[in-house]
Amino acid sequence: MGPEGEAVRVNHVKLLVGGVQLRDGVTTVTDILGKIFTRAGLFAVAMEKGYASTIYGAHQFDPMLVTEEPPVSYGDAEVDVLVALDYDSNPDAPEQPNRDTVLRHGGKLRDGGILVYDSSTGEIPTGALEARGIQVFPIPARRIAQAELKREIVKNVVMTGALFRLLQFDSDETYLRQLLEERFLRKGREVVELNLQAARRGRQEVERVLEANGYELPVRLEPRPGRHRAVYISGNECLGLGAIAGGVRFYAGYPITPASSILEFMEQWLPRYGGRALQGQNERESIRAALGAALAGVRSMVGSSGPGISLKVEEFGVSGATETPVIVVDAQRAGPSTGMPTRPEQGDLNLVIGGGHGDFPRIVLAPGTVEECYTLMLEACELSDKYQCPVFFLTDLNLSEGKKTVLEEVFRRPQVVRHGIVREEVRSKPYRRFEITPSGISPRSVPGTPGVVFKASGAEHDEFGFVSIDPRKRAAMMEKRMRKLDTYLREDWKPPQVFGSVRGNPVLVGWGNTRPVLEEARLLLQRRGVPVALVHFTHVFPLHRRKLEALFADAGPVVVVEQNFSGQFADLLQRELRIATRRVNKYNGVPLYPTEVAEAVLQALRREGAVVRIGGDSQPVPVEVGRNEHEGD
Amino acid sequence: MNTKGIKLWEENAVPKHRIQWCPGCGDFGVLAALKQALTELEVMPHELLLVGGIGCSGQIRNYLNGNAFHGTHGGALAYGLGAKMANPDLKVICLAGDGDTLAIGVENFVHVCRRDPDMVLLVMNNGVYGLTKGQDSPTAGLGQPDERGSREEHPPMVDALLLALASEATFVAQSFSGDVKHTARMIVEAIQHPGFAFINDFSPCVTYNRFNTYDWFRERVEYVPDDHDPSDRDAAWRLVREFARRGKIPLGVVYRNPRPKRPQRRLPMWEDELSGVDLDPVLAGYR
Repeated sequence: MGPEGEAVRVNHVKLLVGGVQLRDGVTTVTDILGKIFTRAGLFAVAMEKGYASTIYGAHQFDPMLVTEEPPVSYGDAEVDVLVALDYDSNPDAPEQPNRDTVLRHGGKLRDGGILVYDSSTGEIPTGALEARGIQVFPIPARRIAQAELKREIVKNVVMTGALFRLLQFDSDETYLRQLLEERFLRKGREVVELNLQAARRGRQEVERVLEANGYELPVRLEPRPGRHRAVYISGNECLGLGAIAGGVRFYAGYPITPASSILEFMEQWLPRYGGRALQGQNERESIRAALGAALAGVRSMVGSSGPGISLKVEEFGVSGATETPVIVVDAQRAGPSTGMPTRPEQGDLNLVIGGGHGDFPRIVLAPGTVEECYTLMLEACELSDKYQCPVFFLTDLNLSEGKKTVLEEVFRRPQVVRHGIVREEVRSKPYRRFEITPSGISPRSVPGTPGVVFKASGAEHDEFGFVSIDPRKRAAMMEKRMRKLDTYLREDWKPPQVFGSVRGNPVLVGWGNTRPVLEEARLLLQRRGVPVALVHFTHVFPLHRRKLEALFADAGPVVVVEQNFSGQFADLLQRELRIATRRVNKYNGVPLYPTEVAEAVLQALRREGAVVRIGGDSQPVPVEVGRNEHEGD
Repeated sequence: MNTKGIKLWEENAVPKHRIQWCPGCGDFGVLAALKQALTELEVMPHELLLVGGIGCSGQIRNYLNGNAFHGTHGGALAYGLGAKMANPDLKVICLAGDGDTLAIGVENFVHVCRRDPDMVLLVMNNGVYGLTKGQDSPTAGLGQPDERGSREEHPPMVDALLLALASEATFVAQSFSGDVKHTARMIVEAIQHPGFAFINDFSPCVTYNRFNTYDWFRERVEYVPDDHDPSDRDAAWRLVREFARRGKIPLGVVYRNPRPKRPQRRLPMWEDELSGVDLDPVLAGYR
């Protein structure tokens, strides 16, 4: 039994690892943890990235939920175990060292939880935490690493060893040894042993505190090996895999958070599959080169975030008018302008559905999970090829960079289909690249096809591609292009996923990366006797008016939950379906959490036209996270 | 002249009598030179990709046979770059104006020079934005008494050859569309160059540039002397500066120094090349 008679919780732990960015290696630790827990047959979810747009020195934190079965979401902000890697002294008050992780996140620790921190420069006052039944483990990890092991770099392994002891995990060092051997054996056996020694020292320090205080640990992780094959992977990596499986062989990017890791992934892996990845000299060179490659017949993709997407806007029209397909990944971050480069938001919807002058067809997809970063990307590859227009793929910072355990069965390998490409000369009739067709889709050709020549232009053109301002030709060509959207809605649009019954019940509506949190919020509300349904969109634009009108016809109040200020998707829904929406918006840069969403939804259900701003000043709503965070993070 | 060959370049193109350039436009000379060069090299229209810039000059893509693309102002080189990376077998020729290349597209010009893709850029340089009725381009003021530079509104002109040399271009040539034969020669050599080949072609705008006329050019052009070593970048730089000091304009290959290149293959694009790929090597790293 744990403290206050509470049962030991097995295989359900939420951790938070914090420290100083770059120096303390926060994500190095959580990446190791995620990988090891995944190998142990457990499910790890680390999708609430907390870091700053600097290289060094800011506070960084990385929460992680570890469970026995796949969790619905990453859960609430409350944590069971807080791991503080920072060790800073305070020259102004030596008796009170700086411990950002404890100061900022101590409030998130649940009563009876665990705090483990690096006490190398002295112990810190933790009386208030201990009064809540929190077990405190000061571990002089850096001092041990420097003084005993003569290698400061192993301080995190000391802490990892301590954490494993606290989680009552890997007591025989099987998992840690395997990982260390994979990483360090080529540097020598002694490096592996040094690291194992560091981990053991961490364990010993925990033992010392356990004995001194008579603590009984409240949580335990038990391996469940061999249940399934799984990887610990990020959304960007999954969408990169999806692109490769879906036939993308040209990728162009420009360094920008949080899309840079797509570029890195593609640079690493595309060449192995015969493809090429280009780091553009600017955002425009990237998308233009991708359009050039697509023109030459290769499936092409670009990736960026809000500021870069803004710079690419002119080319969206080129893609639309010249009917040159391109997949545009927008890993959204908080805007406007530079905004908060390391914070999530869903603020780019209006940009991708409306960016650009004139009307042209486009399709907007938004995966709801890391798994869908793979599966929906396969769809994006086919849709862009079939409809010869830009296909947008909206993730956000946490979905892009956050990692989780993903079952390998997700990564099915598709049959790639090339749509409507003219492969050889047809002598009977002249080839019309932009032939007016009932579907709006015209036969493509790629340059180099013997006997076939095409002219493509962003200037309005006739069926052959020659520039024309003839009113009838213009009207026919515009209608042909836009007709592709009707074809898409008829043949390929996917209706939203519906959880629960819409009839007569309040309906929670979401799109993209918020699905796990909304699913969990719905479960919380149900448990409280509120029978809400959840309608979640991944095919976000265009919307199938008739089908959606039928879906919402007998629905109760509609509450659209989004991570942006204005409710961009709610606006779209209202415009398309002519239904009233209530809104829950969060735009303070902190991820959505299930409990706060449930509270906000209850509040929104109280009156028509409600707009509930989570974390906003005008209408306060209980928020568990963010209270302790400073500006300039 | 191989007239049958020339005829081929008039198929799949806007008919001659519908060409929308002013009578006497320098771009006619470029069009004639292009047809001559492509005929001489026996290029087939289907293996050609002509990327036009925005402006009068970019229309040339539709005035001769061959696949063509036309996107945004300043974008031609980047589209060409992507197409060439995707399929190295294509012959990519970017055809743009001085405003397109050296103002709004200068970011692409500088960096594509450095990247050195095996493609051609021919700039039809007339010192003005003709299509929009004669505003100054970055090459405005060639040979004019110099009040330029005294005001931010009218900075000194960009020297396209020096900018290309400074940007690590591996082939830099200059031509004058009043000399079609020489222009064709330059295009042939540019296409044959295994890397990025830049031709700055002086192509007079008879409507909006009444200063740099055909006669004005004829008085000033001189072929690059035979003893010039085009593989010497310092010599190339000196040649350009020395001609400028004399108020003359060099015609010919100013610089040519191909970089060793690794051969590239066409990227996979067909079903049999793309389907059922093995993702295991990637997944292994995440287990």
